Amino acid sequence: MASTTSWRPDLARWRARAGAMRGRLASTALTLLGLLVLTFFIGRVMPVDPVLALVGPDADASMYKEAAARLGVDQPVWVQFGRYIAELGSGNLGTSLLTGNAVTADIARVFPATVELATLAIVLGALAGVPLGVFAATRRGGLGDNVVRVISLSGYSVPVFWFGMMGLLVFYAWLGWVGGSGRIALEYDGVVPRATGLLLVDTALAGNWAAFGNAVKHITLPACILGLHSMAFISRMTRSFMLAQLSQEYVLTARVKGLPEWRVVWQHAFRNILVQLLTIVALAYGGLLEGAVLIETVYAWPGFGQYLTNSLLLGDMNAVMGCVLIVGIIFVTLNLVSDALYKIFDPRMK
Amino acid sequence: MNKMIAWLRRAVQAGLAVVGAVACMAAFAATPKDQLVIGMNMNNLLSLDPAGATGNDVLGVVANLYDYLVELDPQDLSQVRPALAERWEIAPDRMSLTLTLREGVHFQSGNPLTADDAAWSLRRVLKLNLAMASPWKSYGFKAANVERLIRAEDARTLRIDLPEATDPRMVLYTLATSVSAAILDRQAVMAHQKNGDLGAAWLLTHAAGSGPFALTEWRAKDAMLLDRFDGYWRGPARLRRVVMRHIGESLSLRFMIERGDVDLAAGMAGPDIEALKKHGGVVVQPVLRGTSYYVAVSMKDPHFADRRVRLALRSLIDYQGINAAIMPNYGVSHQRPVMIGLAATLPDPGYRLDPAAARKLLVEAGYPKGFGTTIRVMSDPPLINIATSLQATLALAGIDAKILSGTGNQVYGAMRERKFEIIVGRGGGGVEPHPHANLRALVYNPDNSDAARLTNFQGWRTSFHDPEINRLIEEAVRERDPAVQDEMYRRIQQRYEREVGAIQPVSQMVETVVLSKRVHNYIGHPSATTHLRDVYKD
Repeated sequence: MASTTSWRPDLARWRARAGAMRGRLASTALTLLGLLVLTFFIGRVMPVDPVLALVGPDADASMYKEAAARLGVDQPVWVQFGRYIAELGSGNLGTSLLTGNAVTADIARVFPATVELATLAIVLGALAGVPLGVFAATRRGGLGDNVVRVISLSGYSVPVFWFGMMGLLVFYAWLGWVGGSGRIALEYDGVVPRATGLLLVDTALAGNWAAFGNAVKHITLPACILGLHSMAFISRMTRSFMLAQLSQEYVLTARVKGLPEWRVVWQHAFRNILVQLLTIVALAYGGLLEGAVLIETVYAWPGFGQYLTNSLLLGDMNAVMGCVLIVGIIFVTLNLVSDALYKIFDPRMK
Repeated sequence: MNKMIAWLRRAVQAGLAVVGAVACMAAFAATPKDQLVIGMNMNNLLSLDPAGATGNDVLGVVANLYDYLVELDPQDLSQVRPALAERWEIAPDRMSLTLTLREGVHFQSGNPLTADDAAWSLRRVLKLNLAMASPWKSYGFKAANVERLIRAEDARTLRIDLPEATDPRMVLYTLATSVSAAILDRQAVMAHQKNGDLGAAWLLTHAAGSGPFALTEWRAKDAMLLDRFDGYWRGPARLRRVVMRHIGESLSLRFMIERGDVDLAAGMAGPDIEALKKHGGVVVQPVLRGTSYYVAVSMKDPHFADRRVRLALRSLIDYQGINAAIMPNYGVSHQRPVMIGLAATLPDPGYRLDPAAARKLLVEAGYPKGFGTTIRVMSDPPLINIATSLQATLALAGIDAKILSGTGNQVYGAMRERKFEIIVGRGGGGVEPHPHANLRALVYNPDNSDAARLTNFQGWRTSFHDPEINRLIEEAVRERDPAVQDEMYRRIQQRYEREVGAIQPVSQMVETVVLSKRVHNYIGHPSATTHLRDVYKD
């Protein structure tokens, strides 16, 4: 009997959770659908003609008409959208006009390049940005604070493109410390089998340490430059979160109790900003995955950002829609993860 | 303390040694001797199908994956050289060509190459009616007649009957230069046919040729790897591998060729090429192409329908300034629609910037205070720079021009729809070294009605319509006597000047590549079909 009374509240809780989950999934699906509708119709009003990209400017009217029919863009826009959604229902993102491949295959090919770059950049950015932000907050108004603020301001406001060019000039062209454009030198291109698409992982798995070293040389500079950009954002946010915590009464109490300053900062205040930090790091990571376009262009990095930009310029809407869907899923997932982290680490959310 | 200083000194020395070693390793990094590494912008490399591939970049790739029936000598374009066809004959009535293919040629698949393959490849272009059918359609070939007109008489004999009278040299030039004339391995292609597409979907990213290199891998906008075909009928190429890498940024490309990470850089920006001229390890090789940089107006626009306004515009272009300041490494001064270097080409008429004359003409035309207009232009150099110069010089006569910059798609899309006022662009055929190729592209317009939608003719796009010029163009291409024909082309150019055509050429295109000094035997082809089979490296 006792077990029955304890079971009922659990069941109710599970039902509530399942209901919340369903609601969440429904709102997520609606968000993604809204994103697709918006992208599709914006794509259709953009002054970019995919047929022209395919047939070239010198094609005559009959070639143009045939190509338009082949692509299906001679149909009313609602019909095109309906077809797209129907295809999407069967897991098909369509064929890319740009490459002639299935969009899913293209994204699977380019996405690991961006994941590898963005992951290294965010790790570097967080490893540097968090301590710098904490350091600046603990020396508010002092020289250290001002130095960190100048670094983060310049890291955030100077265009990544400019840093990219300067980095290439100094570290590649002059000093020759790092590799140039691309993910790896051409003599290593294709020498290791593609297992994960992450070149550092694939070369290590294959035990080809020369190729691994070369891949490291190539990723170092773009990752550092993107990392600098993330570091600037993360350090600014960390400083602001820490300042809010350091003015709290519990910090004063800890200090009055005579705790060493490092314990006050790292064991008390820092612990309380951890969840917020995870959220902004996750968001910064999402931004890198989606928007490392400029650095991918400067370094001829065959990644997601470059693929999306080229597709947009050509009006390759199947590819654009596929990328938008992926970006949407990334952000929705990151939001879900950060919500979950709040619930795990912040008792008040329970 | 002394110990600490000594330790620090050792640490600094060790650090410097490591840095020096890394720098030296990088400084001596070089591409392998048996590989040619090409850095280029692959943005316009969308398809490898000879029936549908547009743009010059693909010509350079296809010329090395496939063979053509004939080739043009890159140093004397009037010379047609044997390739797959060891000889050819033009019938006395100039209505057919008979080509005899050489024996013993095999495709990379191992299949023998026959006249059937050649006939099928050419017919396929018309049947698919993709982008590269254009030149063939201009000679009167179409899907309905091509089976009858292009046929294999036996395993080695290909006969091409012309549907209408034209200059057979034009057809030969097309066979030598157009990507549509590459000969495909019929069996290999048809093995990948889907839904009756004659292998079109497969050929977007694959190749089935007999050329000196075979396509190993193509990752769009990333890299293309070509490996030597050892069974090549001319003998194996000297390079084992050709690697093309997509480098979108000109400055990155410049750094890479300076450091020896690429052997050949194509499509670089003018200032980067200029800077590399001072670099001891590279050679800058300009190749004159048959395409023009031009200022085009729409004669549907009421302002430019008036001949006096077009004449005023002609005096409002700073030809000398543009060619001196903007065009080095991009083009050379040229003011005629027919390309430089042909017997029929007239010398430049000597147009100059003359705002006073332009203002006078505008007053006569009823625009004493000028008018407002727009210049559409691609946002890439040198086109955007020409547009900026034009904007400034138009203002000297009171014409207030706004620049609308965009992608090629946006600019030429508006031109095809005849919805523009001024365009600064590039075009004009010029792959075939024949005046007809330029005039057909830039001037000819047999039907000026909107309904005709002759979007492949820039004459139609600009609404320039002169029946006399059309008649002369049609007659000249049929003229048998070369001297008379040249004279007819000169008359066309003179009439075009008098009538003030809608397209005003400013420069003729130059394609400049930068080569490492380790590369030998690279001869850039004016028709973009540069062969790499004899290229080698130190």
